[in-house]
Amino acid sequence: MADVTVAPIAPAHRHLLAELATAVALIAAPPLLSRLGFAPDTMSRILVLGLFGIGFDLLFGYTGLLSFGQAAFFGTGGFTAAYLLTRTGMSSVMLSLALGVLAAALCGIGVGLIALRRTGIYFAMITVAIAQVFFFLENSPLADFTGGENGLAGVPAPTFSLGFATFPIHSGWSMYGFIAACYFVGLLVARRIVQSPIGCILAAIRDNPLRAAAVGHDVHGYKLLIFVIAAAYSGLAGGLLGVLQGYMPPDAFSFDTSGQLVMQTVIGGAGTLYGPLVGAAVWLYLRDFLQESAGLGAQWKLVLGVIFVLLVCFLRRGIIGGLKDLIILIGRKPTGAAERSDAGGARSGEGGGVAAAVRRPDPPSMPPSRVPCGAPGPILAASALTKRYGGLVANNNIHFAVEPGELRGVIGPNGAGKSTFFKMLTCEVAPTSGSISFQGKEITGMQVTDVCQLGLTKSYQVSQLFTRLTVRENLTIAALASLRGKLRIDLLKSPARVRSLHSRVDATLELIDLTGRCDVPAAALAYGEKRRLEIGLALATAPTLLLLDEPLSGMSPMERIETVKLLRSISRGRTLIIIDHDMDSLFELTERITVLERGCVLAEGTPQEIKNNPAVQAAYLGPESVA
Amino acid sequence: MSYRKQHRSRSARGVSRREVLQMGAGWAVGGTLLPYALATPTRAAEHPELGTYPAGSVGPSVFVGISCPRTGPYAAVGEDEIKGYQLAIEHLNTGDPLLRKISPRTTRGVLGKEVKYGIADSEANPNTAVQAQSRFISEKKAVMMTGCASSAVAVALNKLAQREKVIYLTCLAASNDVTGKDCTRYGFREGIYAYPTAQALAPVLVSNIGRGKKIAFLTPDYTYGHTVRQSMEEALKAQGGWSVATNQVSPLGTTEFSSYLLNVANSGADVVININFGRDAVLSIKQSAQFGIGDRMALAIPIATPFLAQEVGADLMKGAYGGMGYWWTLEETYPLARMLNEAFRKKYNYNPEYGAHSAYLQVAMWADAVERAGSFYPPDVIKAYEAGAKLQSPVGEVYFRGADHQLVRPVIIIKGKKPSAMRSSDDYYEVVKVVDAAPLMQKPDAFGCQLGSYD
Amino acid sequence: MLTWATFWSQVFNGLARGALLALISSGLTVIYGTLGVLNLAHGAMFMIGGYAGYVAFTRTGSFIVALIAGSGVVLAVGLVMERLVIRRFYGRPHEDQILVTFGLGICFVEIIRFFFGSLSRSMPPPPRLAGITSLGFMVYPTYRIAVVGIVAISLLAIYLVLYRTRLGMIVRAGIEDSGMVACLGIDVHRVFMIVFGIGSMAAGFAGIVNLPVAPITPDMGDSILVQAFVVIVIGGVGSYTGAVLGGLIAGEILSISSMIDPAYSYVALFAVMTVVLMLRPRGLLGAEWRT
Repeated sequence: MADVTVAPIAPAHRHLLAELATAVALIAAPPLLSRLGFAPDTMSRILVLGLFGIGFDLLFGYTGLLSFGQAAFFGTGGFTAAYLLTRTGMSSVMLSLALGVLAAALCGIGVGLIALRRTGIYFAMITVAIAQVFFFLENSPLADFTGGENGLAGVPAPTFSLGFATFPIHSGWSMYGFIAACYFVGLLVARRIVQSPIGCILAAIRDNPLRAAAVGHDVHGYKLLIFVIAAAYSGLAGGLLGVLQGYMPPDAFSFDTSGQLVMQTVIGGAGTLYGPLVGAAVWLYLRDFLQESAGLGAQWKLVLGVIFVLLVCFLRRGIIGGLKDLIILIGRKPTGAAERSDAGGARSGEGGGVAAAVRRPDPPSMPPSRVPCGAPGPILAASALTKRYGGLVANNNIHFAVEPGELRGVIGPNGAGKSTFFKMLTCEVAPTSGSISFQGKEITGMQVTDVCQLGLTKSYQVSQLFTRLTVRENLTIAALASLRGKLRIDLLKSPARVRSLHSRVDATLELIDLTGRCDVPAAALAYGEKRRLEIGLALATAPTLLLLDEPLSGMSPMERIETVKLLRSISRGRTLIIIDHDMDSLFELTERITVLERGCVLAEGTPQEIKNNPAVQAAYLGPESVA
Repeated sequence: MSYRKQHRSRSARGVSRREVLQMGAGWAVGGTLLPYALATPTRAAEHPELGTYPAGSVGPSVFVGISCPRTGPYAAVGEDEIKGYQLAIEHLNTGDPLLRKISPRTTRGVLGKEVKYGIADSEANPNTAVQAQSRFISEKKAVMMTGCASSAVAVALNKLAQREKVIYLTCLAASNDVTGKDCTRYGFREGIYAYPTAQALAPVLVSNIGRGKKIAFLTPDYTYGHTVRQSMEEALKAQGGWSVATNQVSPLGTTEFSSYLLNVANSGADVVININFGRDAVLSIKQSAQFGIGDRMALAIPIATPFLAQEVGADLMKGAYGGMGYWWTLEETYPLARMLNEAFRKKYNYNPEYGAHSAYLQVAMWADAVERAGSFYPPDVIKAYEAGAKLQSPVGEVYFRGADHQLVRPVIIIKGKKPSAMRSSDDYYEVVKVVDAAPLMQKPDAFGCQLGSYD
Repeated sequence: MLTWATFWSQVFNGLARGALLALISSGLTVIYGTLGVLNLAHGAMFMIGGYAGYVAFTRTGSFIVALIAGSGVVLAVGLVMERLVIRRFYGRPHEDQILVTFGLGICFVEIIRFFFGSLSRSMPPPPRLAGITSLGFMVYPTYRIAVVGIVAISLLAIYLVLYRTRLGMIVRAGIEDSGMVACLGIDVHRVFMIVFGIGSMAAGFAGIVNLPVAPITPDMGDSILVQAFVVIVIGGVGSYTGAVLGGLIAGEILSISSMIDPAYSYVALFAVMTVVLMLRPRGLLGAEWRT
């Protein structure tokens, strides 16, 4: 899958180099490319397809939603605009285009609500089916509006009057100028979206939607948002096609249109915004070249199909991705020295971390963003909590309460139901019966996203990181959720403007001692570092109550000491519940311990009491040990 | 002696001073005029720029853009058309006698210029066709564009022609709209179409099958299908008192007709009129046979697809009535048909279907119009077309109707032969009647034709 | 014109159409359920089977030989495709698998078009099965009735393989947890290859069986593919019985809706699929943990 680099959050200004380069290229293209034999009509077409592809790339390259049904919105936007211009006597081309975009976006909402209920392959299949429905509707019942299989002809070109002069657009270079301007605007908007906080969140959703939801983002809401945006881009491209050709073709709705869009984007490189443009240029050029110069006649489609398959197999990131890789490869030699020093730094970071931890009196604390409400009583209370999986009872009638500020441990032999218990507390899984309340509020049956927004979150037993993103980006995503809320549509905002994002991320980095590794992709971290990042992710949401599922698992003795120190420091000002098997650490760290066995609460008390409890000993070591 | 010596020595010396002056003046004048003489084309451009004129015709050759389906469901028809075009252009460039019978003023090429062409795959897709022809116009300065196998493509290219001011000649497009409400000043249709075909076929059906019969229509769900059905229904009601038992409308591209055919089988109809075209026709007829419909009901196909009998099999087509633009056995009565078949067979080893015939005829008639106009200036060529000169063609005498740019030409009514009666492997049909369409055609404005402007 | 005769004949017709869809969809669902790969080239398998059968028939004139040879060819194509291409994609995201099978599907269609051209090809039914049978309230082509029988036998055969043999047990275990199956020392890759081959063969076999019903062209597989998707969504992905049930239901929907308004029969099918997705996302017989 295309490697998307989330824009660095750090700089105060946003570099506009890419936008500038695009503007220059668009202006320079006519004189340069016409020498190569590209006619203005072809170039306008490439731009229209490129615009169509920008929306699709936002959907697929950045968010990971593969839709084979974008033609539905392409056609909707195009035919709405064409109908308004040819049958209703509307004279303003720009207004018709805008209404076309609106129509496409509205359809996007409807279709998205249905299709986004499922993910992955199901989602792709549903988009195919829905696009087919649009195609049928366009051909038969709505033929009076769409012209049926004939399409709508006579779509006028726009005329711009500025009071002192009018500029009519003709086919040819003036049309190219108009479409290039529209493309540029579309590109600007898309670049802003990608660099906004929402762009980061989309990358997170593509990487690990589960965790994105668990740190407090409304994943479904964002998916619907980007789906509608992609539909809007498709609608605009459709409208522009009608204006370009003076004719709106019925096959704008066909599956072929969607399929070719996918192929062009993959060939050019998904996740780059420019990929569809490159892909469309290659496709159109090859199609004409293969038919004419190479004399292949009807076999041009076979050649393009083979090229596509080969690209998917071997150059999955497409042409642009391949070029990027090449540049990195070439640029790697001089920075080899830098890498070696990096690695050395990492190693010293490990060992140095312990030394530093020893030297550091106490890491700075990070108070929770939400002041715990002064309501008396336990911060978390579960009563009669039961979970059944068919015939298996994972948790049986558990009563559990934790006081604010407490450091609670949960232990139990394997299969005791500890992880299931945690899953119910964070509402990842709904209990079969029983209830949970957090800060006096009933949370049974809520969604994990909402619970996290309330201040209850978990770090996972098996690290659930955003593997393709850097450490800093990982923490940014978690921090964004708590700073911005579940869903906020700030598409055009710069992340630098999110208040206290920087400080929150930096503080977390320092706390988990990964400041020196902050620009390393999470997948490249050592195991211990990954576990620290896992805790950091939960921490960055500034929770009031933090659950930790086996934070010490797989760690070396040195790492354990360090992590225990970390846990102790973050426990200041918040409540912690920790599951683990390392009883020495837990006995040292926690104030009270709950013991689970076979889904039931076996015992609860101070570490000393639990150590000496015969029932607990029997549960771990067998009944013979007690006797 | 000395006088002769004087004379000799003068000629030996060369030219006199006066002669030098005269020659110098001549050189000077000629030299000034020479660049102009070289730059001006053989025919002075008397007309303003319009479309690809004069850019497309300044050189020694002109370009023709051809877009036919080479992939997709109509690919076989498209390949046949392409062969017709290639043969016609070859004949045009070499001044073949057949072509000169249709276009008497042709010598070699068109107005002395060689005709070059480009072929693009339209995939039977209006958008792809529009793209391809737009490219031919802007890059190659095509002076004429042609080719299609569906009315949707024809309508789209009609509009493109009007916008770009480049003449467009249809190939296979039988919907009434192409010279009806979607007609344009720059588009010309040669082939048969729904209305007169229905009017020509109806009396044949009535006289051969009887009066007061019940019809089951198999209609494809697009404009062509609906207009043909309407025309057939009106004609049969009026001429034979026939009635409609059922009208089964299937979406384009249906592969499974069993539901419709069951309804037809249960409808109690006497005649099945199958309006499907292309692959839909092949599938629906084959499946009709499976349901035993062919045994109980007569079959009529208002406009029979090229290669239909070849794909469906003579067994299923026996006794079926249909309309066509051309069938190769016309060579028995029409000498030009014989010439066309021979040339086509020699080059391609099979007899041309009516797509190839349409392609050939359109190119020939275009050459004639341009020769008559004396220039490539589009309005002149259009006016030459609209003058309606009578031309000889493989289907007899034809001429264009100026009011809607439809060629007035006969409808060929065919009937499928029994396999045992076939004299050769492709002798699928007998030509029952060659119907003069002139009295059958609707008034030019009956379908809302309003030709656009010349420029 | 809604008479009882029309109604019952359409119900029966739906059964016949549904049987074929069930066979094709069962192949698709077994492949997806076991390998987790959604094979967008499945429709092309159907089409290749038809052409292979056609070639075998024109050489030998025997229906049975056509069935066997055609199935064999598609089995081989499926095995090769898995071995050469699909195998590299197990570790890659689902989207990549969709893309590569989509591309392969297009290549297959164009290769066939290159060799056979675009005219349709067909095969007559075996003489004993040709003609029409009277079923009392209606007449129906004999061959189509035979198709129901042939498909039923092949579905039963696949069922027996899946549920009564060791290979089938491995397949069903693989559907649940392929990693675990590998850990048990079973050569999962060989099993996957065989499953892919058999699943594709089911579609190819359907293609040959369908040849006397509908002549075949290179692009016939596309509409079949979309219908098969809808079927497995309705029936439940990964569920063999779900595919069979879904196929029959889809066939009935298509037939019965064409009585009311033929233009909407496909729309009706997609509408039913949407309703199933909203109300019971895992399909009628699908397993709960499938997302």
